[in-house]
Amino acid sequence: MSNVITKKVAFLNGVGHEIVAGESLLMFSRRLEQSKSREIPTLCDDSRLDAYGSCRVCSVDVALSADGPRKVMASCHTPLADGMHIFTNSARVEKLRKNIVELVLSDHPENCETCPSNNYCELQDVAHATGVREIRFGNQQSRGKQSRDNLPAVSKDTDHPYMRMDLSLCIDCNRCVRACDEIQGEQVLSAHGRGFDSRIIKGQDVSFNDSDCVSCGACAQTCPTGAITDVFRANRTPDAEKIRTICSYCGVGCNLEVSVKNNEILSIEAPNDAAVNAGHTCLKGRYAWRFYNHPDRLTSPLVRIDGELTPVSWQYAFDYLAERLLAIKDTHGGHAIAGISSARCTNEENYLLQKMIRVVLGTNNIDCCARVCHSPTAYGMQKSFGTGAATNSIDDLQHTEFIMLIGANPTAAHPVTGAKIKQKVMKGTPLIVIDPVKTELARYAQWHIQLRPGTNVAVLNMMAYFIIEAGLVDTAFVDSRTEEYQAYHDAIMALNIDALAAVAGVDSALVRHAAIAYAKANNAMSFHGLGVTEHSQGSRAIMCIADLTMLTGNIGRAGVGMNPLRGQNNVQGAADMGCQPHQGAGYLPVDIEDNHQYYQAHYKAEMPKDIGYKIPEMFNAALVGDLKALWILGEDVVQTDPNQQHVVASLSKLDLLIVQEIFLSETAKMADVVLPGTSFLEKSGTFTNGERRVQKVNAAVTPKAGCKTDGQIIVEMMSALGHPQPDYQADKVLEEIAQVVPFFAGITWDNLGENGLQWPVAKGGKDTQILHIDSFKRGLGRFHFYPFEESVEIEKNAQAFPFILTTSRNLEHYNCGTMTRRTGNSKLVSEDVLLINSRDAAKKNISDNSAVRLFSARGEIILNAHLSDKVNEGILFTTFHFPELMINRVTGDVTDKHTKCPEYKVVSVEIEAV
Amino acid sequence: MSKNLSALAKRQGIDNTLFQTLVVGEDAKSKEQRKALAKQLLIGEAIVHGTASFYDFIDGDNANKKAYVCNGSSCLCAETQSQVTAKLLEHFSADDIGHVTCLGRCAENSAFQINKENYSGQDIARLAEIIDLGVIDSAERYHVESNLTPAILTAQINDLEQYYQVFTDVIGQFSDDALLQQLTDSGLRGRGGAGFPTGFKWRSCRDAKGEEKYIVCNADEGDAGAFSDRYLLEQRPHSVLFGMLMAGYLAGAETGVLYIRDEYPQAIRATEKAIVEFEALGLLEDLAFQFNFKIIRGAGAYICGEETALLRSIEGQRPLVSVRPPFPTQSGLFGCPTVLNNVETFAAIHFIFSAGAAQYFALGNGKSTGSKLVSLDGSFNKPGIYEVEMGLPLTTLFDMAGGFAKPLKALHIGGPLGGVVPISALENLTLDFESFAENGFLLGHASVIGLPESLAMIDYIEHLFEFTAAESCGKCYPCKLGSVRGQEMIQAAISGKQLLNRELLDDLLETMQLGSLCALGGGVPLPIENILQYFSDEIRPYIQNTNTTLEQADV
Repeated sequence: MSNVITKKVAFLNGVGHEIVAGESLLMFSRRLEQSKSREIPTLCDDSRLDAYGSCRVCSVDVALSADGPRKVMASCHTPLADGMHIFTNSARVEKLRKNIVELVLSDHPENCETCPSNNYCELQDVAHATGVREIRFGNQQSRGKQSRDNLPAVSKDTDHPYMRMDLSLCIDCNRCVRACDEIQGEQVLSAHGRGFDSRIIKGQDVSFNDSDCVSCGACAQTCPTGAITDVFRANRTPDAEKIRTICSYCGVGCNLEVSVKNNEILSIEAPNDAAVNAGHTCLKGRYAWRFYNHPDRLTSPLVRIDGELTPVSWQYAFDYLAERLLAIKDTHGGHAIAGISSARCTNEENYLLQKMIRVVLGTNNIDCCARVCHSPTAYGMQKSFGTGAATNSIDDLQHTEFIMLIGANPTAAHPVTGAKIKQKVMKGTPLIVIDPVKTELARYAQWHIQLRPGTNVAVLNMMAYFIIEAGLVDTAFVDSRTEEYQAYHDAIMALNIDALAAVAGVDSALVRHAAIAYAKANNAMSFHGLGVTEHSQGSRAIMCIADLTMLTGNIGRAGVGMNPLRGQNNVQGAADMGCQPHQGAGYLPVDIEDNHQYYQAHYKAEMPKDIGYKIPEMFNAALVGDLKALWILGEDVVQTDPNQQHVVASLSKLDLLIVQEIFLSETAKMADVVLPGTSFLEKSGTFTNGERRVQKVNAAVTPKAGCKTDGQIIVEMMSALGHPQPDYQADKVLEEIAQVVPFFAGITWDNLGENGLQWPVAKGGKDTQILHIDSFKRGLGRFHFYPFEESVEIEKNAQAFPFILTTSRNLEHYNCGTMTRRTGNSKLVSEDVLLINSRDAAKKNISDNSAVRLFSARGEIILNAHLSDKVNEGILFTTFHFPELMINRVTGDVTDKHTKCPEYKVVSVEIEAV
Repeated sequence: MSKNLSALAKRQGIDNTLFQTLVVGEDAKSKEQRKALAKQLLIGEAIVHGTASFYDFIDGDNANKKAYVCNGSSCLCAETQSQVTAKLLEHFSADDIGHVTCLGRCAENSAFQINKENYSGQDIARLAEIIDLGVIDSAERYHVESNLTPAILTAQINDLEQYYQVFTDVIGQFSDDALLQQLTDSGLRGRGGAGFPTGFKWRSCRDAKGEEKYIVCNADEGDAGAFSDRYLLEQRPHSVLFGMLMAGYLAGAETGVLYIRDEYPQAIRATEKAIVEFEALGLLEDLAFQFNFKIIRGAGAYICGEETALLRSIEGQRPLVSVRPPFPTQSGLFGCPTVLNNVETFAAIHFIFSAGAAQYFALGNGKSTGSKLVSLDGSFNKPGIYEVEMGLPLTTLFDMAGGFAKPLKALHIGGPLGGVVPISALENLTLDFESFAENGFLLGHASVIGLPESLAMIDYIEHLFEFTAAESCGKCYPCKLGSVRGQEMIQAAISGKQLLNRELLDDLLETMQLGSLCALGGGVPLPIENILQYFSDEIRPYIQNTNTTLEQADV
């Protein structure tokens, strides 16, 4: 049998080239045309969007043989075929393009000089490229949309904090409408009317403010003219420097392109070639950056002198700290000192801080905010699989046929990943949402299992039961790749399903249908968030998800796996770098002799061997006087950790509280020493996103006057403590990390390139998109059975405080709002509100938008209630972005049994109208 | 088009579409109602507004009028409508009178609509009665003739059970493949105007991957002058249902959707009745194959006759023309493989499977086969629907209709996008796709409008541009912008403000023809160029040249 593969060839202006399957004529030409000036011009094409074919400017001549009859076809939506001849510059098509552009310009204002898109306008470029010099349609009535009588006021929209519209500049290419639909999935934009009079609308022809716009800016980014722009657009200038960096607002890791002139940021856009976000990002990444030079920024080290935080020199601050820290170490030992690192800082800075705490101050009392978010994920997935990180990549969404989303609201908290999931689901990919709140994605889900907060383990065990009962276990996978299955099987099958359904408040038929559909799917992918981890059974729920993943064989290939949606931009990295009390950089347990030797060899210094305090233990130790000094890097524990009264009392007991911050946060206000650090826009290093992708952060501007990068602060501190260090240089620190952290072995600053590498990275630079392909990191995957256990919070407090409060984030704000509250986002959302089911509200005489008192066994707050069908009866929901509210006055002390991650998601409360 | 909107519409299913809710629902009028509707359908509010605002009869300028005057080409040429309007103004304010482009009453003209009932001819004389009673029986009469024995499309259907028996007979007797082969052998080509081989289309849908498939009947007969589809739906609806049923069986679809234009209320009622009759037969009761019919009512948009726009319309998207590929047989309604044919195409199926493909193929010239319905408007002595063999000399057909009722200078054949044929060119033409194409015209849907001697051809050009501007979906630039600029140029020339720049007009027509996405913008240059060619003497005074002055043009 012959095995000849005949290459398919098409001809571009007479020259034959091999065809790439699925290419349009336009893609073919773009791939091969060397010079930009010879590219086929277009107005309505955006390569990220489906071919649309409205402008027709990309028309080319096409023949099926060199001398065959030619036909004019739009290149953007005509598929390439074997033997085709494409002529991109025949006289006929050049004339056609020119005539079309002339028509467009006959309905467009002429005043380019005053247009915000002057010099950035694709219409300008295309007019130039096609050689239109004259518009022959003289004396026409309807010239320029701005002269039309029927354009309503909203067509010139300047009220929104970010978005701008001026329809007189619109050329009706519908790129904005398509971007809103095909990228963000919001469908805020459409068009009114038809034909010549059609025009772009927002919502039911309202302003941006009155529409459901989520301010992602996708429309502004794709608009070829100045019709839809944003408030920063007019700042653009051709001589601005463009710096590519990584957003610091969540674990998605969007690439950003920062325009800078004279050390000032002009605007931020998303690069189209970014692997993570392909030209998209959310309003936080694109617009919420003005905090970086906000007048509230700290600009000098502060030392508490006579009770007042007083500006001092850096030298004074370091000398003072060195003296105090060494004194405490001498008197009480290293274990009286602790550090909390920051998931917003770079890998390099996290690595340096844990190194300082361990090597210089001699204690493993180092932790980071992963403790309060995804520590159960890291713990549970390590127990089940051997690696505490996402098994797959976000890109796998392209290959999956089924999605299960547990305890996560990605359209708000991970907007770009959320939008990608929404795109899949809108197009018909089945979705299970397990969440007490009717989230945006739950609206689109086939199965929304709206369980009572705190009952994940019950529902996940029910699913396992139904899968086993239906005979849908992937036995080949279970037999060859896992262990401890029989015990798990037996325990699951002994469960009382009706009792579990009652406990979780769910319909067991719904759970059964969902479980069976999940098990039947060829490739199912799960995502989970803090709605799984921040529970007393957080780690156990993680292992339950891992059980389901193994039960159905959804591991080790494209389009499957178990994927935590990491909260902070570098929470993966902070843990990777060893900011955990039990594991050093690269997750080697510190209490094992071999590891101990390993680290000492690398650090060329003594290392403590005993496991240190986790964050909640630090507070407890401080309260009883065991902990004397605490170094906190970029973390506002007062506002964000649960049971605020307890946190404040603990911090008050410390002899020395050191806070590295960019603003005087609630925690910094309590500090003895405040060191002004820098935002991500002012520093270099690397962040690791939720899919283990290590990406380069590049400083866009220099640190604000008086501030130092956090890495520089740490190395200067280490030097002051008697361990001389060179100045902070990201590439040099990364080099050291690559020597210590095994899965960073192949990473160098240079080979990270523009789109980074996914760890583990082998020497030579080969990275890893999918984990556990042939075997698990721990060898065999391990099944764990845990029965549902009621939270102590409920057992103790439900009687007196019958409502369950669960907390989360909204789209507009990030965490405790330190950054976003100091941007235009605060004009979009300016308070935390309480969502309450309307039936509960009626019972409690609470009306929409009225103030309520919310109180628990710990404390009380007052906030406004919003009646909402997003929560069931008995459940309340709020966010924690505003310090005015301080929701953590009511949250409790219960933590995950294995990791001490606080149970933010289940708080027994009571409410009353004020 | 939006894949998301197609898929979200699929979730709701054909019985809960945004479009029908907007057309027939009483609870989709206010902003609050539409907000709730958007939430329920999981789509943006802008989508609801965008869709509603597209259609004349939903949010458009012609929504909710008390009376409508037809402004289609035939009524325009018949010069009957100023009188109709004058009569209506005796009872309604000008604001209460809207326009509708072609009620399909081209045989009688003087067409208007009140309370969703169409009237024509002498009906206007009974206007007071109509207003008094709300509705009266229209006295419409038109000729229906066939020179075929037996007649195919115009044949009476007497016994329904016997008629549908053909379905159970052939599916019992032949394999699906054999039946598709028979369809191919018949040579049947799409009657909507494009003439695409029907057998190939059905097979392509059958072969396409997809759990769900659809059959869609394009009954959005928007071509002014055409009323043959209206005739079939009103008088022979079972022939259409039969064709769809057969298509469903062979392509693997269980749902047949008839998209019938809102301007044809009687056709909608007749089809509804026929569906009830079909269901009462219980034909499919003992079969594994199920098939359900669903009528979708249009809302006044010519572009919905374009197949992709029609599909988007059903889905509740703005009915903009989609790019192809994918073709509907691959990805049609709700993104599923879909057979979309014209009314008349489906109507021909029964004969092919009852009399045999060979008998059908024997009619015509081998390339255009079978019979064709022709709509002759009121400029003929015996206006109406004529069923003739493909390939019949046009003059023979016109003789059947008794010749012209008044002096004509040209015929507009094949709808607004068909050619304007001067009387002198008629003798060369035979009624088939090939003859028209070879002579630089278009058979289209075979509607014939007489352009009277009294009609100024420059006015007719303006009418064509105006129609295109009014009906352009607005997606592609050559059509959206070109039609308006063209209309403005002609208006300026007529008013004497600015004579035509012939080079610019030629550029404009070439731009529309070569550049447009669909046949509307791409097609309207044909009749205009025909006029510029065949009536150059009449047009010349409107054209700029170095020697022409405004005074000279003012003849």
